[in-house]
Amino acid sequence: MAAAAGPDGQSVKPQRLTLTLLAAALLLYPLVLTNPFYLDIGVTFLLAAISASAWNIVGGYAGQVSVGHSMFFGLGAYTPLLFYTLWGWPPVAAVPAAVVLSVALALAIGLPTFRLTGHYFSMATIAVAELIRIFTGTWNLVGAAIGLQGPARARGWWDLTFRSELPYYYLFLGVLALVLATTALVERRRFGFYLRAIKASERAAASLGVPVRHTKMRALVLSATFTSIAGSLYVIKTGFIDPDSAFGILVSVQMVIIAALGGAGTLYGPLIGALILVPLQTATNSLFGGGGSGLTYILYGGIIVLIARFEPGGLYELWHRVAPYLRRRAHAA
Amino acid sequence: MLLEATNVSKAFGNFLAVAGADLSVEEGEIIGLIGPNGAGKSTFFNCLAGETAPTTGRIVFAGADVTRASPEAHARAGIGRTFQVPTTFTDMTVIDNVMVGAFLRHPQRNDARDHARRIVELTGLRGDQPARSLGTPGRKRLEIARVLATGPRLLLLDESLAGLTPAELHDAITLVRRIHETGITIVIVEHIMEVIMTLTKRVLVFNQGHVIASGTPEAVVSEEAVIEAYLGRRHRRREHDG
Repeated sequence: MAAAAGPDGQSVKPQRLTLTLLAAALLLYPLVLTNPFYLDIGVTFLLAAISASAWNIVGGYAGQVSVGHSMFFGLGAYTPLLFYTLWGWPPVAAVPAAVVLSVALALAIGLPTFRLTGHYFSMATIAVAELIRIFTGTWNLVGAAIGLQGPARARGWWDLTFRSELPYYYLFLGVLALVLATTALVERRRFGFYLRAIKASERAAASLGVPVRHTKMRALVLSATFTSIAGSLYVIKTGFIDPDSAFGILVSVQMVIIAALGGAGTLYGPLIGALILVPLQTATNSLFGGGGSGLTYILYGGIIVLIARFEPGGLYELWHRVAPYLRRRAHAA
Repeated sequence: MLLEATNVSKAFGNFLAVAGADLSVEEGEIIGLIGPNGAGKSTFFNCLAGETAPTTGRIVFAGADVTRASPEAHARAGIGRTFQVPTTFTDMTVIDNVMVGAFLRHPQRNDARDHARRIVELTGLRGDQPARSLGTPGRKRLEIARVLATGPRLLLLDESLAGLTPAELHDAITLVRRIHETGITIVIVEHIMEVIMTLTKRVLVFNQGHVIASGTPEAVVSEEAVIEAYLGRRHRRREHDG
């Protein structure tokens, strides 16, 4: 991967410049494009970028491909609304409880499956997410197939129920900044080196003293934490959740596709992926409406085939390959 | 004694890959393990490196029992290894690869990088080069650099010099010598007799899971059991008849 030069400190300056430009663009976006339609796209983009960046920690950097990350997203979404329904808690107050549950689930899955190599982890994540989805759909306490609803009208600012999407935009942007800052820190530290080594060869990593299982476990816990927070943000904004929008396979697949499209295992890959996929989804939804719901599957399938066949490293890697060529041409001209 | 492996056996179902092998390594030695393909060298090697737990026997390193310890624990104890097929971290640069090893004794990034730079220099590599752009000799050298960065007391080299041209082989032998001069004990599995004859003072010969001979390289290569193991019984008879 061309981004390999990053962690040893050789490309820190360009990274800072990219970060500054990115931050400026994201901060100014809702002030320039004030139309609610564009604001909604912006909020959806941020949520998708948060989820995919969270997945990227374990799936991209450590190469442990989870296809059931919706289980953490779903727990993050259901817990705040369950606490609200049962005890009238403001949804945001239950976010830590959701994180604790997600971390417990991550440990329960990681402890047995990380002993094994190969695709056992991926298979386990799919199976557990589906089981939880089916179980949630029949459990009355969590609203069964109908789901749960949050406060329809704000009882106070702490319910975080706003008419405009603008406060959500900046809230989500703050969380995205936190996820990216954490990922950047991980990338530069021993933990990040270990993750990339594990992705390349667990056997070789172990022979160099890398605590493989423990490192994978830490990555999964960190990833589950942020994915859970993404789920909580989703319900804080929408005020509603049902089994399919929380634990459905498409929720997981979207995280994988976005990260893979942009560049799994790179800091900005998930952002690039979300930047392309979210407007594309919005466009297909506007063009075909409800009648085109199956198109999402076709779109995802097509993207998987294209990435696997032509650019397994995603667009970020493609850019790193093409950029020097373009620079040479510009110099020659 | 730095390493003492006693009566080590490894069975895969009914197949006995290693049958009661013994090996004692003094600090500062270079020992060679040779034998035809499928003789059990690599399995024995994997037992020493902690990748495979022996079915029977005991392995003691620097006074501690490491028989069933994990590869990570072996690395921490000071046993480093390379692989028959080099497994470099291809998405990383050379220096990043070496830093993964350096982090074992230098948890801080800057310390690890400084240590890795010294190792990269010793092994004659270029730090900023992407690992995926290296050829076979470069990847083998990088594997050695990476394991050196872990600060091993015992280095297990698994055919690290195979597949090199004569010039590359000469450079690699010089590198192994230089590593040995730093005080690291080396056990080397190798098919190339030039390497064994040049580098080692003591050799163990494996065949069908058993250690069939041990001694100086010169003495071992003239032993009948060794010639038979490598070239077959017919060849030995022909030699006798001749």
